[in-house]
Amino acid sequence: MPTYTDMTKCDGCGECVDICPSDIMHIDPVYRRSYNIEPNFCWECYSCVKACPQHAIDVRGYADFAPLGHKVRVRREPEKGAVSWKIKYRDGRVKEFTFPIRTTPFGSIKAPSDYEAPDLSALTSPMLSHEPTALHIEALPILNKAKA
Amino acid sequence: MFTSNPFATVTDFLSPLAMQVYIVLMILAVVIGTLLDVSHKGSAKFFAQRREKSMASAKIRLSGSQTLTLAVITIAEAAVSGEFCKWPRRASHLLMMYGFVLHVITTVVMVFVYPAAASTPVILPTLWTVGALMVLVGGLWFFFVLRVNVAYDGASPLHLGRADLFVASLLSSVAFALVWHFVQSASANSTAARILFGLYMFFTTLLFVSVPWSKFAHMFFKPAVAFQRRIEEANGSTDLPSPVADNYIGRS
Amino acid sequence: MARRTRFVDSDILIVGGGFGGCGAAYESRYWGRDLKIVLVEKANIERSGAVAQGLSAINCYMGMQWGENQPEDFVRYARGDLMGLVREDLVYDIARHVDSTVHMFEEWGLPIIKDPRTGRYLREGKWQIMIHGESYKPIVAEAARKSATEVYNRIMVTHLLMDKARPNRIAGAVGFNVRNGEFYVFRAKAVIVGAGGGSHIYRPRSVGEGMGRTWYAPWSTASAYGLLIPTGATMTQMENKIVLTRFKDGYGPVGAWFLLLKAHVTNAAGEMYEAARFDEIKARVGKYAEIHPMPTCLRNHSLLEEVKAGKGPIYMHTQQVLDTKEKEEIGWEDFLDMTIGQAVVWASQNVDPKERPSELITSEPYIMGSHATCSGAWASGPEDCAPQDYQWGYNRMTTVQGLFGAGDTIGGSAHKFSAGSFTEGRLAGKAAVGYVIDMKADAPQVDEAQIKKLEQTVFKPLENYRIGRNEIVAGTVAPSYISPLQGLQRLEKLMDEYVGGYSMFYVTSEPLLNRSLELLSMLKEDFEHIGAEDLHQLQRAWELQHRILTGESVARHTLFRQETRWPGYYYRADYPKLDDAEWHVFTASQYDANTAEWHMSKLPVHHIV
Repeated sequence: MPTYTDMTKCDGCGECVDICPSDIMHIDPVYRRSYNIEPNFCWECYSCVKACPQHAIDVRGYADFAPLGHKVRVRREPEKGAVSWKIKYRDGRVKEFTFPIRTTPFGSIKAPSDYEAPDLSALTSPMLSHEPTALHIEALPILNKAKA
Repeated sequence: MFTSNPFATVTDFLSPLAMQVYIVLMILAVVIGTLLDVSHKGSAKFFAQRREKSMASAKIRLSGSQTLTLAVITIAEAAVSGEFCKWPRRASHLLMMYGFVLHVITTVVMVFVYPAAASTPVILPTLWTVGALMVLVGGLWFFFVLRVNVAYDGASPLHLGRADLFVASLLSSVAFALVWHFVQSASANSTAARILFGLYMFFTTLLFVSVPWSKFAHMFFKPAVAFQRRIEEANGSTDLPSPVADNYIGRS
Repeated sequence: MARRTRFVDSDILIVGGGFGGCGAAYESRYWGRDLKIVLVEKANIERSGAVAQGLSAINCYMGMQWGENQPEDFVRYARGDLMGLVREDLVYDIARHVDSTVHMFEEWGLPIIKDPRTGRYLREGKWQIMIHGESYKPIVAEAARKSATEVYNRIMVTHLLMDKARPNRIAGAVGFNVRNGEFYVFRAKAVIVGAGGGSHIYRPRSVGEGMGRTWYAPWSTASAYGLLIPTGATMTQMENKIVLTRFKDGYGPVGAWFLLLKAHVTNAAGEMYEAARFDEIKARVGKYAEIHPMPTCLRNHSLLEEVKAGKGPIYMHTQQVLDTKEKEEIGWEDFLDMTIGQAVVWASQNVDPKERPSELITSEPYIMGSHATCSGAWASGPEDCAPQDYQWGYNRMTTVQGLFGAGDTIGGSAHKFSAGSFTEGRLAGKAAVGYVIDMKADAPQVDEAQIKKLEQTVFKPLENYRIGRNEIVAGTVAPSYISPLQGLQRLEKLMDEYVGGYSMFYVTSEPLLNRSLELLSMLKEDFEHIGAEDLHQLQRAWELQHRILTGESVARHTLFRQETRWPGYYYRADYPKLDDAEWHVFTASQYDANTAEWHMSKLPVHHIV
């Protein structure tokens, strides 16, 4: 289901060009607005749809197997940690869902260098950062080599 | 330069009536150009159909005063360019928008009301120049730095395409207006001044006559669509999910 | 060509900003506080990689804190699913660490669904837990941005660089800026490749717009293999292609439906068919038919046999399990968190899962190392538990000195998925820090002449187009060049027809494989004539090159393994049975870029659990 940009809603801000993992959202030379240059490499990941501040991008299911008349629209609200979906069927039925996306504010992750620096002698141990505490068990499991 | 009416000097070779007719023709060019654009492309029909469909799926009927309020809000937002979510684009657009408005209004007033230099209130040429400068500052910033194809899509800042017809002809028009006025003030009716006036007229005419092919008419379309979106959100015909009431941050 | 070249020096270069790369960034920063760590990504790490849309489950979590599973159990499970052939040391290593990764994710803000009765993570299945994972990638990318010294987005790495002075040692990488065409030379002491596995190696079932809806991301362009193969790194299990049974066309996930909602699958007549096929499967694979749970490939096999017998379509009876609103939400969230396209298919075809079943189908094959199969580089294992011949120093280092891998890049470590790939990134990141410190002043040197040559090579497709374009009026048909898409479709067609794609019901044989190598040889030559119209097409051209290299590797490995180890993934018609006597081994290949020769060999499978 590739994406398309609504002519009247796009104001050419470039967020979709910036985010697209497939590098297929680009700027049209006539209107200086975005459009999908390669729908056959569109995964319908909705990254651009979610990133567009004007909700100007939507998806029309891949024409080779998705009949017309449907809509799957999304509103992602990172500051509230939520994503909402409104799905309209070809026959008009509507389903709506809201799901959480994050329990902490965006930007709040503690950088690894903000933790106390490890003793570099531990470089040769099998333990990774924050272990064994982060495993929530006493010690990192070690395989009994005698079994080999 | 800031204080003298630039159009008063033009009366040496052009009558005030000619200038006024020109302005009326340019206004007509915008109107006709916009109407041609929407009829030829069928966009008027498209938007009429879209509006009909959305009205049909409206969940509630909005009253006259509700509709009026939404219109006022739309205009208010447009007045502060609030539809732009990034501050540099918003700032440059405000400069261009109000600069253009100032420049055009003062042009019209000077040409229609004060064709002779002596009686022109100083405020008019001053605002005419300030308006042109605002367009230049906002516009050049936009053109070389902020244009999305330059900022996000790897285009060279010097890249010129059809999408730039409006902004490029606008910038050229005000740039030549200022340069011409400066040269004209220094050496009235010299060859250089005449040439510059010609260029000023060329780009100004291009700006208004190219409406069917440029983004000029978007200044009318965009607020209309913004109004329509507000209506759809208010009457429940929008296909977007509503914003959530809860906040999920902080829950485990 | 007057093109700007930028040099970026670092201690550790991480190629690919997906889950493997982000894990490597985090861990290498934790251990290497003063190191310069550079992460380079061809897209934008915020949403790049296979987890762009999100995920609805974490498929590799032990739950050791609640005594739910032990790492050894996971090794047995992965080994069973791969019909005996996994790097048990690598799998064990991931299994024992993955819980800490998942707990870190939760601390960072990933919402993990809890079982209201027990307070524990809600299990989808024995190894899987449910998450609200729409923002899984943004959360992990945030951690990576806070770890790396510099993150370079929109730079595609096309080639790795070898050390001028020492043979078989890595020195960095080259690539280009997809936006402005600048040439980039990355010089590094250690390189961790966390690039993508391979979609679009085989012709997909949908070939119109729908070719975008591959099961694995279309931007997983086999760079994990395409970058490593030319360095001479030993690759393993490249014949271990994965075929997935998923919802038709949209390729939506089935895990939650099977495991959590307990939906049944039947043929068109409503019959549960798997049990009836047991004897036939036993005749093919012997004792492996008795593995519980039934290996993924064998489940595919049953479905394929049913379809070939004309008893399809095969249906997942979603309508039998959505009896509560809560279950309906689970079913939809499963898609909306990770394969929105399937929701679009349902809406477009008026399929309400509460009312009617949905078709399942087997996909086209993919080449990857992070899911239920384990193609990739042969890597050194954990020092404390890997058998002697599985380790040569640093954990997750390939057979090229200083070249590490994580995620799809590493072979033999199956069933790691997202959390396991991030964990493998952590393992590689820590090991790379140790390697860099041990190197001290003995830094690798890049070869200036090689860089100049590579710069020409990297941009040649642009030149091919620019010059060759003068011959024609307009359009896509030119006698002197082909577009990246044209080259891709040729690759996909030849792989499909000769190396066991879906149109052959995944069957191949020696004559077919030999023919594939002939066609691949001509395609490789034609790559010299790829014409890229712009920088976007140039990216597509190099993605194609990585896929071509991978396709050839797949064909050679498939030719080498003279048995059918994984019916349901692919079949050797000339060797239809599983042959433990000869083939209870890993296949290995090493490509010599100087002679363009491939050397195939067997590597032992050690069972340590």
